[in-house]
Amino acid sequence: MDVTGCAKKESKGWSLSTILRTVLSVPRFRVGVQFLMWVALLMFVVDTVAAGNGLTLSKQSRDTLAVPQWLYLATGGATIGASALLASFVTDRAFIRYLHSWSRTLPSIERWWDPLVWIGHGLGVAALVLSVFLGFAGPQLPTASLTILLTFAGVRAGLPIVTYFVGNVWPVLNPWRTIAAILPSGYREYPDSLQRWPAVGGLLVLVWVEVIFPISTVPTVLVMVILIYSTITITGALLFGPESWFDNADPLSVLFRLYGAVAPLQRENDEIQVKLPGSDLRSSDVVTDVSDVAFIIALIWELTYSGFITTSAGVTTVETLVSFIPAMVANVEVRAVLVYTILFVCGYAVFLGAYWYAGRLSRRGTGTYITARTIAFQFAPPLLAIAAGYHFAHYAGLFVSLSPALTMALTSPLSPPANPLVLSPPSWFEGLGIASVLIGHLLAIWAAHAVAYDLFSSRLVAIRSQYPFIAVMIGYTVISLWIISLPGAIPPYLS
Amino acid sequence: MEETPAGTCEHCGHPFPTSERLVLHKGIEHPSQLDDSEQEAFESAVTEEEADLRTLRLKALAVLVLLYFGLLILYAIFA
Ligand SMILES: [Zn+2]
Repeated sequence: MDVTGCAKKESKGWSLSTILRTVLSVPRFRVGVQFLMWVALLMFVVDTVAAGNGLTLSKQSRDTLAVPQWLYLATGGATIGASALLASFVTDRAFIRYLHSWSRTLPSIERWWDPLVWIGHGLGVAALVLSVFLGFAGPQLPTASLTILLTFAGVRAGLPIVTYFVGNVWPVLNPWRTIAAILPSGYREYPDSLQRWPAVGGLLVLVWVEVIFPISTVPTVLVMVILIYSTITITGALLFGPESWFDNADPLSVLFRLYGAVAPLQRENDEIQVKLPGSDLRSSDVVTDVSDVAFIIALIWELTYSGFITTSAGVTTVETLVSFIPAMVANVEVRAVLVYTILFVCGYAVFLGAYWYAGRLSRRGTGTYITARTIAFQFAPPLLAIAAGYHFAHYAGLFVSLSPALTMALTSPLSPPANPLVLSPPSWFEGLGIASVLIGHLLAIWAAHAVAYDLFSSRLVAIRSQYPFIAVMIGYTVISLWIISLPGAIPPYLS
Repeated sequence: MEETPAGTCEHCGHPFPTSERLVLHKGIEHPSQLDDSEQEAFESAVTEEEADLRTLRLKALAVLVLLYFGLLILYAIFA
């Protein structure tokens, strides 16, 4: 298009109207105008909703909402619906492609790369060794134990935040990868048919263990879990080779790779590129198998689940369900574990089913010959933005409140203060949670819009194809906004 | 959906339920392989699409306005 523009300029004279026409025909100009219009509209809607939510947020306590709960939830759902409608105003293919392929290459850090990687390797291995040693020999108070603080404030809360805001550094930090890389490995071929299913299973098991066992409060229990995880990981990595193990079977590596797809910094061909956040969610190589979809839904579900069981409504649900099981079946702890497990598995099945059904509806609604499978694969990466938003809503507060304790434990791991400082996050953190859930969904809507345009040649069909997924996203938003608004509680029956 | 497609792309073999969508597909995915009549068909399909998109935008705008005032009224009553 630029070429024809230049040709026009030269062949005709420079009358005012030709200049004007030339300027208007430049794609970037059109793109800019459309972008400004979109931002203005979006700001308008978000502002309105934020003002509405502000009514609830100005109150310190969660149970004295100035706005009835259903209205707060309806507003959240409406925001997602409204932004999907707004996205449908953007119909310029060139503009969508331009925004999603915008990138700048950072100055080469080749000189620094090797030392940085070695520092990362060293830090990772040192953290693992220290965690195991201090879990047994260090202080047993949860807020003074470096093992617990590194695992929960570090790997569970802080590192995913860094990953989706900056970029994925896990391949460098991953201590198990560093250890496996220097040992002889690759005795078996990784079975291709397994794809990422071992990682899906691993993630679900890790979350289940986190709920059932007191790993966030008793360092020795956590160390046992770390040791079991290390044994499985190193054995797998040596058996199948680190490359295929950490790409396919290791839940933490897959988790960080997927969260990393949201990030603005991406490494491509030894260069680091800055992109707009979430632009990689459109690329078709993030999800290549059903197991990847299952993993992404598991990320959303585990955050929803661990959020839910730590609220008053979650506690009531668990208590009611436990009382349904006759007492003679087993003692109360066993029944509670059963209830937690059933809730966990059933909820995951519902989330997965809802997404898969949306894929089928989208296919039926558009009458396309593209398979429901392909549609479901393509629309799955945008959900990662939602997962990142949930994660931030649930863990930013934890990270802030534990960071002074983590700093203290790092400076004196063996002789921590008797009374470690635990901050309570300021009240506006609740607002930050709501905002991050909404922003994650907006990013997902926008990425899904770009995906639809890549998938369908007809723009009307592209817009129609998104409806079922938008409905699913509205469902996810309402559920997570509801969980955030509930008063917190301690899950019953668990030590 | 499982009935016979209205047309199949001769360049990549993908079937399409309507001939308009086939024309759009060929124009967007295989622009260099169009002959004159296909080019013409593509251009008129795009023009038609623009008109449909305009209608869709109007509908979307109407829903947005409804949503906005609906929420405004709800807030006025309940908050
Ligand atoms: Zn084709």
